[in-house]
Amino acid sequence: MRALSWCGGLALVVAILAFPFLVNAYWLSVGVLAMFYAIVAASWALLAGYAGQFSFGHMAFVSLGAYTSGLLVKWFGIPVPLGMIAGVAICAAVGSGVGFVGLRMRGPYLALFTVAFSEVLRIVFVSEVEITGGSGGLEVSPLFHTRSDLPYYYLGVILLAASLAVMLALVASRWGLFFRAIRENEDAAAAGGVKVMRFRVLAFAIASAFAGLGGGYFGHYIGILTPDIGSVDQMGLVVAMAVIGGAESIIAATIGALGLEFLVEALRSYGQWRLVLFGALLLLTMRFARNGLLALAWDQVRRVDRMRTGKAAREVAE
Amino acid sequence: MAGYILIQALNGLTIGIIYAVIAAGLTVIFSILKIVNFAHGELYMMGGYFSYFAISLFGIPPLLAVIVAMLVSFALAVLVERTLLTPLYSPTTERKGDYGILITFGISIFLRNIALIIFGPYPLRPPSFFSGALIAGPLIMTWDRVFAGGAGIAMLIALVWFMNNTPWGEALNAVSQSRESAAIVGIDDQRFYMLAFGLGGALAGGAGALVGPMYSLSPSMGLIPDTQAFAIVILGGMGSVAGSIIAGLLIGVSESMFVALFPDPSRSLTYAQAFSLVILMIVLLVRPTGLFGRVHTSME
Amino acid sequence: MMPVPPAAATACLIEARGLTKRFGGIIAVNALEFAVHPGELVGLIGPNGSGKTTTINMLTGHSKPASGEIYVRGRRADGLAASAFAALHVGRTFQITQLFSRMSVLENMLVPGLARPHSTRSAVTHAARQHLEFLGLAALEKLQAKNLSGGQQKLLELGRALMLDPDILFLDEPFAGVNPFLRDEIIVLVQKLHAQGRTFVIVDHDIQALQRLVLRLAVMSRGQKIADGPVAEVRENQEVLRAYAGI
Repeated sequence: MRALSWCGGLALVVAILAFPFLVNAYWLSVGVLAMFYAIVAASWALLAGYAGQFSFGHMAFVSLGAYTSGLLVKWFGIPVPLGMIAGVAICAAVGSGVGFVGLRMRGPYLALFTVAFSEVLRIVFVSEVEITGGSGGLEVSPLFHTRSDLPYYYLGVILLAASLAVMLALVASRWGLFFRAIRENEDAAAAGGVKVMRFRVLAFAIASAFAGLGGGYFGHYIGILTPDIGSVDQMGLVVAMAVIGGAESIIAATIGALGLEFLVEALRSYGQWRLVLFGALLLLTMRFARNGLLALAWDQVRRVDRMRTGKAAREVAE
Repeated sequence: MAGYILIQALNGLTIGIIYAVIAAGLTVIFSILKIVNFAHGELYMMGGYFSYFAISLFGIPPLLAVIVAMLVSFALAVLVERTLLTPLYSPTTERKGDYGILITFGISIFLRNIALIIFGPYPLRPPSFFSGALIAGPLIMTWDRVFAGGAGIAMLIALVWFMNNTPWGEALNAVSQSRESAAIVGIDDQRFYMLAFGLGGALAGGAGALVGPMYSLSPSMGLIPDTQAFAIVILGGMGSVAGSIIAGLLIGVSESMFVALFPDPSRSLTYAQAFSLVILMIVLLVRPTGLFGRVHTSME
Repeated sequence: MMPVPPAAATACLIEARGLTKRFGGIIAVNALEFAVHPGELVGLIGPNGSGKTTTINMLTGHSKPASGEIYVRGRRADGLAASAFAALHVGRTFQITQLFSRMSVLENMLVPGLARPHSTRSAVTHAARQHLEFLGLAALEKLQAKNLSGGQQKLLELGRALMLDPDILFLDEPFAGVNPFLRDEIIVLVQKLHAQGRTFVIVDHDIQALQRLVLRLAVMSRGQKIADGPVAEVRENQEVLRAYAGI
């Protein structure tokens, strides 16, 4: 079993690294977007699945990070990486604010609040045309001055790897335990000495920071930034990615995002029906495989494995 | 100027009644299924489209189309409930709250995308119920709007009557107060969840059908009224239809006034949408215990 | 009966003065005066709705009093969060067992341990395993908490409270719905912990069990404390008998 997961993981890593040389330019651009969605979906899974804070405002931070970086670079001419860092910082701060304000709310009310917050921000970005370019789009300086997507792809891989490393380290630490405890039972966590308020705000700050990172990466790649990236439909896509992959596991959500983004493009000929398909897939997964498809697949593999070893053991006994 | 304000206020009243109808549906769903129905706005949206197609495809007269829309919305809601919501009542489902949030959010995304495919992204304008307008002094209001307000009131009255004077309605009331005690008395829970969700959907769909001729239809039209409905339920509804009505009228009028008096006309429409969202955020901040602060649904 | 350290006349471990709590129009706890000294084993009884659990909630930070003061080791503590009370070595269990259902038994124990400042993973894990051994749960370390039996869950909750190294433990209905075998086990565990020097306030309806355990009994009825003293005295108290006759 161990061998299988190591092999699978290694194969995945090799595939990711070798990817640009295996595909044409179109699919490379899909790969870039896949990296973006992976960072966003993983950080959403951290906040909602792992820490139990259901926020539907995640894409608002993606767009906030993108616009912050884009505008700072445009107005002050600062180098793009600096702009992206500023975007991350702003998102961490605003995210803390949302987390703090949302402390009094639990479950569905927090979700409602974050939806409203996300839409308000999107409306502001649409309306303040002089600043943001509104729906017409904002021109954002590119990260790399090449026509090829290659550097973007590898930067995306690095950012994703770094983000996952940080998130996984967090999950393995005592903070990860506290997040799960808060998710499982806030009162018991408080009775156990966990500073619930502090950690709920922290979860928001960290997840929003990653969303901002993804946003900056996206903005400086795509070149023309519109408020759509912060829409509820984009949020739905990210939720679908995370849930279908497995909302409570950061790795599963990442794989879900990568898989679904490629699927979205592979099914391009189906047009709008793709999104209907994903919606249906999301509903089916929630209904019948709540822990996500990866967990389902893993369980099946384990079951087969157990049957095999059971059979082998019986054969040995005979 | 006074005339303008008056007209806006009356428009606000009408839209407030519509919001109250949506909120009433939301309340019924909350009190019985104990979930926040994120897909409520989409049921409203579908109702609008059902009515439109009843008229354009089947030639059903507009007034009847509203009823048809309500019936089809009811059926759609029941279908959704049977296929996707039953885990909410099963003892083996963990973390029902999380499930409710994610599944209804997923349903809303799904319905919106289905609508985008079937109906296209461009707004559709259903034909008017009545042509012409009511003119009384400085007051001008299209008959559609008058009808919408009146029909909305009729729906609310019908709902209250249903909850108080029919065995199903009273049982619904009982189940809303306490699932456990209803089970003891021998009421079959499952059918009540169907009825509650269906009823909520029918009210939302009916509201959408009424609103179509006034504001036109689009797949994303559900978001804002949905938000308003949540704000209304949290603010004043809490299971009380009378409270829903008052809160609905208040929010409807204030939204209208906001649009009318907003200093920058080029932004007023988009920020009007933000207004309702901000109201919801404020309401959530002020009353975070929200809907379940009172478990009992009493229809006054 | 195990030898009990004499209750210190001066230093109060936890004290409530004029503690009041309202829910809507109802006064759940009315100007309560209640003091617990180090080394005591106090039972808190009363008919349903008398305000016992509300009192515990206030004394552990899970509920804010409407008025009144709470002192922990002489310092004001009312208004502090539940996690702050935990940091002050005030532990509690809940009427309905509150666990981290999908976390393992060991993880349930690690959370309060690691929440304490200057704690290391290895030290906390070691302490957790010792407590689990003490409670007889050591073999279940890797199981998810939701898969434990009801009785095991109650013991785990006690273990979680022990990870705070509490000076005082509030147990809310530890004997509720518990079979006689487990009840006796809990009594023995509490006595052992008490002998280690920990103070207990136990709320329960099982007066037989409490009488085997505690030396002092406080009785609440309708938000007020109507009796507080040695068990034998309280048993004879007319007001107490009347309050219970009303059930």
